[in-house]
Amino acid sequence: MEQVTTENTTQATVSEKKLKPATLKRAWLIWFFWHGCSQQGENLLGNAMAHTMTPVVEELYTTKEEKSAAYKRSLTLFNTEQQLGAIAPGIICGMEEAVAAKEIAPEVSDAVKVALIGPTSAIGDSMWVATAIPLLLTICMTVTNMGGVFTYGGPLLYMLGYPILTAVISWNMWKLGYKTGLEGIHKFMSSGRLAQLTSAMTVLGLVVIGALTASYVSVYVPVMITPPGGETAAIDLDKLINNIFPGILPLLLTMGIYRLYAKKKWSPLAVMGLILALACVLTGLGYLTGVYA
Amino acid sequence: MSVLQAILIALFVYLGSIGSVVGNTLGWYDLGRPLVASLIVGLIMGNVPVAVALGLLLQLANLGSVTPGGAVGWDLSYATYIGVGGALAFYNGDMATTVALMWVFSTVGGAIGVAMWNLVYAVNLGVNRVAMKGAENANPRQIAFANAGLGNIIGFVFRFVPALIILITTAVVGSQTGFNVAEIIPAWLTTILGAFGGMMAALGMGILLSFLMKKPVHFAIFIIGFMMIKYLGLSMMAVAIFAIAAAVIYYSIVSAKEEKKQEGGVA
Repeated sequence: MEQVTTENTTQATVSEKKLKPATLKRAWLIWFFWHGCSQQGENLLGNAMAHTMTPVVEELYTTKEEKSAAYKRSLTLFNTEQQLGAIAPGIICGMEEAVAAKEIAPEVSDAVKVALIGPTSAIGDSMWVATAIPLLLTICMTVTNMGGVFTYGGPLLYMLGYPILTAVISWNMWKLGYKTGLEGIHKFMSSGRLAQLTSAMTVLGLVVIGALTASYVSVYVPVMITPPGGETAAIDLDKLINNIFPGILPLLLTMGIYRLYAKKKWSPLAVMGLILALACVLTGLGYLTGVYA
Repeated sequence: MSVLQAILIALFVYLGSIGSVVGNTLGWYDLGRPLVASLIVGLIMGNVPVAVALGLLLQLANLGSVTPGGAVGWDLSYATYIGVGGALAFYNGDMATTVALMWVFSTVGGAIGVAMWNLVYAVNLGVNRVAMKGAENANPRQIAFANAGLGNIIGFVFRFVPALIILITTAVVGSQTGFNVAEIIPAWLTTILGAFGGMMAALGMGILLSFLMKKPVHFAIFIIGFMMIKYLGLSMMAVAIFAIAAAVIYYSIVSAKEEKKQEGGVA
């Protein structure tokens, strides 16, 4: 009985170790600016993670041995999408607090850290990098295309708007991770809310990419079919194709590249080579059929 | 292009690369995007309209440029700053030649950028030893120095220096000796590179689609966007706004359905 009470009292005193809001913000700032520095194949973002944890570790622990152990744990392999993925280091800060309070074993925190890599990378990559960034760029490109002062305005809008928007979301994701911890994330993910949000973003992204494909991908077939006898009856093959189905060639090219890249795992460089070869062939046809002189 | 202009552009090559001192949000995803980069090159070179026109072409071709899992397929920062800067140095009023030149510069620049990234990725392994020592000594300054200090010194050396060498040996020397590129680029090559550029936008779209198109129904949604432009003749901005509205409606319908299902489950 006596032992239990002493244990409880010690636990009560140490679990008061709550991180100051300023410390949390300092850790986030380190993450925000230096998450990508010194990444390599061994621990990926491990160095950046250890750097991020410095204010947290310094506040939570007192002895050199404790600090050293905490730093060593933070240097292990880590990766995530670095902007919306800020939820992951947010959770890790919360976990470190629990480890310092001896509420959980360090091994649990390590396991959670590894478990966070996949899902948080996926949220950030599919929602932010693959949908929000292209959408924002598309809107700003449209503004830029309006010409005049908008030649400056479009790029500036993205240049200033993107980091501000991202910083606000990243900080909130960080706080969310810290407050709700792994359980909160788990609840959020299993509630289906995330899946709904992702699929709504997918709808948005697909419509915009469809429109971009129609607007900007251009495939021109410079072929003149001249029937023997009459120059005037020459048929412009490109016009003919577009009369049947406007934009069928850009559409087919885009779908073809999608297949090569997504299904056949071609590298972007290989696809570029193919596009260059195609450009040579088409231009050659143009010279052969007399479209280019 | 003056040496000072080359230095400034090379500096931005570094700032816009992955892991630069300003962070990826301000660097790789902002200063490194062709839309932004071309404005900066335009300001440095004193010709914003042409620079941004070139930047828009590169932006479309690279709209899908992301870095999943640290694998850099294409170094956009190098490709854009070298591409737009190099082409602008020889600009003489002929847009077709300038566009052709931009593709040449950006392809060479991008390829060198990828090589540099792989080099940095390997050299950074040495940083791990310093960071580990910092952990053993429980020294936060040493860890910070390893990550932000050493990481950036390595990044700077392998990005700024090669970019500067490329720009000085080609753009600076070429433009200051009054070298006329339009004379050595034959018309057929300009035509090929023009066609290449038009089709390169499909690469940007294809890569984006690889993230989003997972089910047959996704193709149907994609086609709706395509047809809104080709058949209905809407502007890009109109489609973007329709798409946002559609996504919001979709989300509210789906989440209402989910709530109903959960309530039903409880009852």
